[in-house]
Amino acid sequence: MQIKRTYLLLLGLMLLSSFAVVQHTKVVSTEIKLVSTETEFEVGQPIVLRFSTSRNVPLDLYCSNSYGSTVISSSLKNNTLEFVIPENITKKIGAINWTLLDETKSLSGKLHVLPKPEVVSMETYIGPPSIEAGGKDYTTLVVIPTDSLDNPVPTNTLVDAKFQFLDSEEGFDIFTKNLIAYRNIYSKRPSGRMLVSSESIGINSKEYTINVMPSIPTDFKISATRPHDYADGNQVTTFWTTIIKDEYNNVVSDGTFVTFFIKNKKGHMLKTTGTTIDGIANSKIIHPDFADKWSVKAYVDGMSESNSISISYKQVIKDFDVEFSEHNRLIEIGPLQSFMDQMIPDGLHIKLKIYQKNTLINTLTKTSFNGYTSFKLKPAIYQNDDYNFSIETAGLSKEFKSIKLW
Amino acid sequence: MKETSNKYLISALLLGLAFHGSSIFFTLETTYDALIHLFFADHYANSWFEPWNYEWYTGFTVQSYPPLVHQSIGLLSMVGGLKFGMFSVALIAIVLFITGTYRFSLLMTGNKTVSGYACLLAVFSSSFVETLHIFGQLPSIVGVSVLMHALPEIYLWLKTGKKWYLATSLSLIAVTVTSHHVTPIFGMVFFIFPLIGMVIMDVSREQVNTMKEVTFKIFLNTFFKLFKRIVSFGMLSLVLIIGCIFPYWLNSKANPITQVPIPHGSRDNFLEITSSGLVFFLIPWGILLILLPYIFYRYYSKRYLFFGLSVTICTILGTGGTTPVPLKMLGETAFNILTLDRFTLWASILSIPLMGEFAYRFVEGDLKTLIQTKLGAVYHRIIGGILAGLAVFMVIFTMSLNYFRPSQPQKIKMLPIVNFLNQDDHDKWRFLTLGFGDQMAWLSAQTDAMTVDGNYHSARRLPELTTRPIERLENSKFKGVAGIGSLQQFLTTPEKYNLKYIFSNDKFYDPILYFCGWQRLRQLENGIMVWERLNIPPVSAILPKEDVAKWLKIHWGIIPFLTVLIAFVLNIQMLFVLALKTRVKPKPDFLKFPIAYTKFNRNVLRITHLWSLILAIIVFYGIYLFYLKNESQISPENAIVAYYDALDFKEFEKAHSLIDPNSNIPIAQYMLEISVTDGLLSSYAKMDAIETEITALNDSTVSAKVTSQWITPLEKIEKVDYKSLSKIKGKWFLQPDDLNNDLPPDQLYSDNVTKYFNQGRRRITTEATHHEDILKQPVLEVIQAKLVQFDGSYAIIGEVQNIDNVPADVILKGTLYNDDNKQLATYNAKYHVKHKLMPKESSSFRINFEGIAWSKTQDSIPDTFNPDEFTPVEFEEQPTKFNLQVAGNVSGSDLYKNVVLSDVNIKDCMLNGNLFNSGIQEITIPQLLITYYDNDQNMVWVDHMFVKAGVRQQRKQHFEYPIIIDGDVKIINDDMKNIFVNGLPNEDISDKIVPNRIKNHTNAELQPIDHLDFSGIKIEINTYIGSPN
Repeated sequence: MQIKRTYLLLLGLMLLSSFAVVQHTKVVSTEIKLVSTETEFEVGQPIVLRFSTSRNVPLDLYCSNSYGSTVISSSLKNNTLEFVIPENITKKIGAINWTLLDETKSLSGKLHVLPKPEVVSMETYIGPPSIEAGGKDYTTLVVIPTDSLDNPVPTNTLVDAKFQFLDSEEGFDIFTKNLIAYRNIYSKRPSGRMLVSSESIGINSKEYTINVMPSIPTDFKISATRPHDYADGNQVTTFWTTIIKDEYNNVVSDGTFVTFFIKNKKGHMLKTTGTTIDGIANSKIIHPDFADKWSVKAYVDGMSESNSISISYKQVIKDFDVEFSEHNRLIEIGPLQSFMDQMIPDGLHIKLKIYQKNTLINTLTKTSFNGYTSFKLKPAIYQNDDYNFSIETAGLSKEFKSIKLW
Repeated sequence: MKETSNKYLISALLLGLAFHGSSIFFTLETTYDALIHLFFADHYANSWFEPWNYEWYTGFTVQSYPPLVHQSIGLLSMVGGLKFGMFSVALIAIVLFITGTYRFSLLMTGNKTVSGYACLLAVFSSSFVETLHIFGQLPSIVGVSVLMHALPEIYLWLKTGKKWYLATSLSLIAVTVTSHHVTPIFGMVFFIFPLIGMVIMDVSREQVNTMKEVTFKIFLNTFFKLFKRIVSFGMLSLVLIIGCIFPYWLNSKANPITQVPIPHGSRDNFLEITSSGLVFFLIPWGILLILLPYIFYRYYSKRYLFFGLSVTICTILGTGGTTPVPLKMLGETAFNILTLDRFTLWASILSIPLMGEFAYRFVEGDLKTLIQTKLGAVYHRIIGGILAGLAVFMVIFTMSLNYFRPSQPQKIKMLPIVNFLNQDDHDKWRFLTLGFGDQMAWLSAQTDAMTVDGNYHSARRLPELTTRPIERLENSKFKGVAGIGSLQQFLTTPEKYNLKYIFSNDKFYDPILYFCGWQRLRQLENGIMVWERLNIPPVSAILPKEDVAKWLKIHWGIIPFLTVLIAFVLNIQMLFVLALKTRVKPKPDFLKFPIAYTKFNRNVLRITHLWSLILAIIVFYGIYLFYLKNESQISPENAIVAYYDALDFKEFEKAHSLIDPNSNIPIAQYMLEISVTDGLLSSYAKMDAIETEITALNDSTVSAKVTSQWITPLEKIEKVDYKSLSKIKGKWFLQPDDLNNDLPPDQLYSDNVTKYFNQGRRRITTEATHHEDILKQPVLEVIQAKLVQFDGSYAIIGEVQNIDNVPADVILKGTLYNDDNKQLATYNAKYHVKHKLMPKESSSFRINFEGIAWSKTQDSIPDTFNPDEFTPVEFEEQPTKFNLQVAGNVSGSDLYKNVVLSDVNIKDCMLNGNLFNSGIQEITIPQLLITYYDNDQNMVWVDHMFVKAGVRQQRKQHFEYPIIIDGDVKIINDDMKNIFVNGLPNEDISDKIVPNRIKNHTNAELQPIDHLDFSGIKIEINTYIGSPN
């Protein structure tokens, strides 16, 4: 019985206490009222929030804007609570939300800090810094005019964007919206350099540069130049392209990579590459050392190609002599004579294929010197036996059967 | 009793300080370890209480090494800089060592003159000279010196039981522990245990009349009598060993050394690898080798019996891998972690008292009498001269070892590198040094920038490092297999480690850097080449660290110096007491057991003579073998090996001297011929092995087939040459080889090229990303890409094109996924792409997926390295999808494209051809990228080959490429959806810039091949220019 009574007592007390709380809140909420009526301020103006109160209790005010939140303490004068909003908040445009930190946090509101119609500086961004000619590619100019407190200016502030490109100078009026003014600048057909600046309420930006680069190359033609048309394996043939242009007649940018594919008489693919300067690519290749006919075609991979040209090289070495000496272990080849019967320039490849019992056992390669060359067959490697030899140079081949080494 | 100063000790101190003190300035900085200690000292100087160091190994804790010596250097560096600190500590170590040996010898012999001799000889002991001047192991020297100081105190505690001595001995043990952790642990076994044995012997001796009467029973009784003291000392010193460097033990438990053992010379078989035998056996023993019979004779006398055992064990363990005993005694793990040279060091230190004793007896004792009476005074003088001469020779030899065989590259001026790192935020990335040797520690000490490498291998944490037996990436070329393999992984995926800059002091690494996509930035004024890699994100501002409790940090910062302070107060106070003579100092107990040097054992003299004779024979035989092996013209084999060695080391004059003088090639001509050959083989190869097969013709002419193996940074090369040799006047000479006579038609060439310059920052500002200073990333397009499986491994192959108007550096990163979109592996393109593309140039590529090589089992590491080999990552699940991220950055370097495929022939799956260099730069290493197309002309595989020889300007170079025979390539996925260029979808870029792309444009120009699986190939050429001008 005793316990039951205690419980009842406790419950009663709890009930009673809850009433007390409810009553108390009621009293407080009716006590404090917002006195200030202004909700819009120009940026930089001091903002003071006033509340009338019947109690002499100082309270705090929670307020937040786009930069962050803070709690402000009040000063109490003649039953008026005064909150001075700090400068770092009043200096930024946008909404300020406030809440009075009393027990119920029932009082809250919103203030608006409005921008000033003045421009002190301009933030300007432009990018990408290079675009392709042809009118499809564009770059974006973004201008943010700001006031003396570094706030964006009011919506619909006029910004004058100015462009210079080749012979034309143009201006566009754009208006700020959502704090910024922007414009997409489309390329024109020609390539070149575009200078961009902007102006707003008497303030000018600095100069910005946009490079309008040529578009992808179109088909072109090729040609070949060479000192002579002999296959001497020494001189160099140069291939040239015509000026490579894009579809808008712009010369492609320097360094554009062109590949020349060469198909020779045997159907093998040779290859030389070049990069353009002022639209012309040239590429070199050494002459073959045997008579050959090349068909040449150049490509910019996946984008454009040239016509196909055909060039042929004449045989220079008609025939050569081979001499065996020193137990047939010294093979002397020469003279190797070129088209005017001059000695072939040094460095012609001469291949000696050595067969033992009709199987190739080794291939020796040497280069000519003063029109001659010689092979020495070392006894340690080539034991005394009968060998077959095949000597190949300049596309010619000579066979020597059953030569005995001893 | 009036205490007189020991003139030997004083002269030893003066001599030691003058000799070592002046020579450390020339030796210490080129030692193996000194600069590492300097780096640690720099850490303490900057953050005394913070054990985490970010600079090495992506972070490690300095609680992995006892701090006393480092902290001392750090503290002294506040006065006069780091090097001042290091030299000061070295001077202190010298004093400690000399006084330590004096006290230890006095304890052992009980004779001040003998001890004086001992410490005088210790100054010139070759093991000390080597440890200080070649190894630079300062903590080890300080540790063992303080331990020697502790020994007399321990003796006195055990003998007398006075608590004062317990305090002094423990205070010194504490100092030992905080300076070097291994010394007290093994010192317990090799120094203190035998000392305890000796104390028991001495106490037993006091109970009977002669040493002979000491029986085992008496010994045992005494042992039990002293048991309490022994145990109390043992327990307390154990507490100190654990307590004083408690954070160290905690750290070793938390981060146990689970890494592949790093080979160390002290574990070699000294007979096989004679250089290790010299450094780790002959030098530390030095003159003591001759005295070995005497040392063992004396140490096996009853009083020293336990020292005899100790010195025997140390000697045996010090022999490393020469005998299987050390491996069996220590077990596999300990054998592979410990460096065994320390046992030899201890054995030699244990022998110092007896060396002093021998010298004393030889100079003025009974040995002198014995020799003079038996063999005459002249003989005594000659022997004395020989011994002294040998001792001096050993010292000079040891000191000059670094001069003749430098263990380090030339001293590098660090200032330009430090300035470079401080400039322009370069220290926001990690760097790597190559070919710096231990000097990298000195660089790290001078800069705040971080490196992925480090010089304290026990602290390594990245699995890419711990799974390899390499100490540093920096010297990976000396570690063959594992070395370059490990380096490659860092070079291919550097963004993983924020590694952007490489300082190269060794041209050897240049090709691998180039072909992994790095570019040369510039050469600093100290000759160091800086390489950089584009598109690497900077190190994040907040880095992970393994934090430890605050009390551990405080403990680590305070205790070491506290131990020194306490030891100082306890021990030096005694000195003041002595100096002021305020108290009559009792004679220490150990002086009560001197030995009367009256009669030198004749048999010992005889055995020493015999032993010396054996040693002399071994030495002379060794020298003879050395001569036979190194006399270059004694046999054709020697001549060939010497010739190839000379070429390998670029000693052309020596190589020329081996060429037949009758061939009349002057050195100038020879040099001309050699110098025109450039390329992978002649400029970047290190000879690994050489085998010669000699076919004798007659006595004076032979032919040789020389098969040489060369390691290059890119791949392993086997070369077969045929050489003829002839014997002229008993010497073998090589016949010269033929020359390439190729001669270009013109004398002077001109060439027009487009060059690029990216000025980086246009404004001098430290603003991090001034948007106007940043170039647009060039637009690339992946023309095709597919995931293929070939020969058991997966790869992404494809073709990428620079569709922008500026040259681009290309980085390709592939990631593989399974059907459930689970990421399986990620890797970058290594060799199989042209990393630099001109506008509109395209390149085939292949991304291999490499695992962390050889991480599975240690024994799968191949014995000989093939740098071209890689370990494919092992997939637990089947990769079915891939993602490809391509990044382009403007680059103006390495854009040489003037290489021409001037001739092609195909026969029996062997592609022959000529490369022609049509430009004005010498091509050092041409690389062929070969793309295979299947019968429907779809690209299916990309292969590569490095041409071994370079191509000079306007000249041709022949090459041979074996076409892949088995072409069973499986295309798993060719979906191009997940391809991104500079973070944007590839498809959008393609649609916008090249909407009307001609698909498979150059397929008509493929080289047709006669093959079952392939219809044609495309050959692209990439070039590395070694020295652009």
